[in-house]
Amino acid sequence: MNPRCLYSCRQLSHSYQQGPLQFPALHEVNLDIASGEFCLIMGPSGSGKSTLLNLLGLVEPVQVGSLSFQDEDLRVITEKKKNYLRRHQLGYIFQSFHLFDVLTAAENVEFFLTRQGIPAAERQKKVQQALEAVDLWLHRGKRPQEMSGGQRQRVAIARALAKQPAVIIADEPTASLDQDTSRTILQLLKDLCHEGRTIIVSAHDPLARDYASRVLLLKDGRLDARGGKVHAD
Amino acid sequence: MLIKIAFLNLLRNYRRSIVGLLTVGFGVAALFLFDGFNKGIMRQYKDNTIHAKFGHGQINTKGYRDQIFEKPWEHWIENPEPLLKEVAGIAGVSHIFPRIEFAAMLSSGDKTVGGRGLAIDGHEEADFFNTMNFTEGQAFRDEPSGIIVGKGVARALGVKPGDRVTILTNTIHGSLNGADFTLVGIFETGLKELDDSHFRIQRAVAGPLLDTDRIESIALGLARDEDWPQVLETISKAHPELELTSFAVLDRVYYQHAVDWLGQQFLVIQWIIILIVALGIGNTMAFTILERTTEIGYLRANGESKFEVLALLLWEGTLIGLIGSVFGILVAWLLNITLLRDGILMPPAPGLTRQFFVRVELQGTMLILSCVLGTLTAAIATGLAASGRVRMSITAALRYR
Repeated sequence: MNPRCLYSCRQLSHSYQQGPLQFPALHEVNLDIASGEFCLIMGPSGSGKSTLLNLLGLVEPVQVGSLSFQDEDLRVITEKKKNYLRRHQLGYIFQSFHLFDVLTAAENVEFFLTRQGIPAAERQKKVQQALEAVDLWLHRGKRPQEMSGGQRQRVAIARALAKQPAVIIADEPTASLDQDTSRTILQLLKDLCHEGRTIIVSAHDPLARDYASRVLLLKDGRLDARGGKVHAD
Repeated sequence: MLIKIAFLNLLRNYRRSIVGLLTVGFGVAALFLFDGFNKGIMRQYKDNTIHAKFGHGQINTKGYRDQIFEKPWEHWIENPEPLLKEVAGIAGVSHIFPRIEFAAMLSSGDKTVGGRGLAIDGHEEADFFNTMNFTEGQAFRDEPSGIIVGKGVARALGVKPGDRVTILTNTIHGSLNGADFTLVGIFETGLKELDDSHFRIQRAVAGPLLDTDRIESIALGLARDEDWPQVLETISKAHPELELTSFAVLDRVYYQHAVDWLGQQFLVIQWIIILIVALGIGNTMAFTILERTTEIGYLRANGESKFEVLALLLWEGTLIGLIGSVFGILVAWLLNITLLRDGILMPPAPGLTRQFFVRVELQGTMLILSCVLGTLTAAIATGLAASGRVRMSITAALRYR
């Protein structure tokens, strides 16, 4: 195994049960993702993008096949260890932001740092760094409803970033944004990738291709061989 | 941070939070007021028993109250004066009331009725026994031939204050004796059997009438109700030949049974209120939590355990419970100093024949207990409403619309 390998999937299959019916979502996916990659998962609706993202994000249990993250076999990992990895190693960005309406931008960013048990002074420093990275430090006192969609998504990125996770997982982060804002967000993610983080993004938006170092094409739950490296950088 | 978020979350949908707060608030106010009302009734019963009949307790010779004697006076307290002096000096004892109870016939004009007489020291008893409720006249103090009678006795004899009443009774030696008295007052305790048969005269007159210098009992008045155990121990140790009986035992049917009955009733009402609060707050929180399913999913995705998410929601329920409880206590207190200031006029209680006012007695212990119950109920109801949501799979929670 590649020493930089962060994820390793072998024969990974997943299906959803709805009443007596079973809907296959992923079919025998084999995949390695190395540390520092900007990995874009693309495909039509129902192709299994979100399922793969959820499996990589440790929020969906492994059903068939194997999946490891940082050499931890996710089939046998304890719930406590999973929670630890989600809290310290993974950052999430969602299409609908999932910010706490009642907290300011700075407090939203600070929330998970508090949960990580980071002391107050250090937290403040990290909050400032993260908000400056997304150019929102001046808006730190605003609540989400006082911000535009792009600003909210940048707060969500700052929140994921502040945790200093090994991987940032973004599910359709630009779906509800205009093209200029989408470019800003994708550039931000790319910059984070350059700083050494692994970025895994699912998107419909072809614009995202310009920023990813690797594109994974999913169709009917299978990885399409046409996917691959798109950028040398 | 968790508490801050929990608090701020209450402001998210403030209308719903207000409904939750009101549910808890009125529940707590009802608990607090109902307990105060109960305490008021119990106080009324207690005061009636202590200050109309028995004092805080009674001293008799050992075994006297448990048996029926052919010649009860043989078991009365002999040479009582030294004992009265000694008991009066015991810490906690504020009043001593030597008494003799006897049967007699009362006559006025051509009417005669049977009755139970109580020979007392009028001057000493007048102030302490102040809840006898005189409908006409007053308690006697120093009038040597004064008599007070129950309302039923007065009606049967057709007498009013100032009228002459003759008492005929047997001395302890069996011979007939009699004396004339002047009616000073007519009392109505509300207890029919008492009002229809009882009368009181001075012990100084009753002694010669019954031809005895003994006393049947000594009723005790204490400085504080709580002094009874200590007084009981002191007298029992010094006089093993005597027996002390508290007012609660002396008046078991009227007082103790009423207290037990009210206590049980309160317990049932308390559970009904708790159930209503639990259903109300559970319903409110269930809606709130349902709306925040994706947030729960997001928190779980970021490493919060089921227990930690549950803790956040529990904080919210607890805060609603706590704030609602404080609000409820304030409402109860305000009601008590305004609308309920003069008490509540109650119809005659079981065994009583007259109406009475009950003041709501709000107490510190119930204030704390009401708050704890309100807060706990809200927290538990929230926990039950939230437990299903936090157990949902993270992806199902994130997808929830």
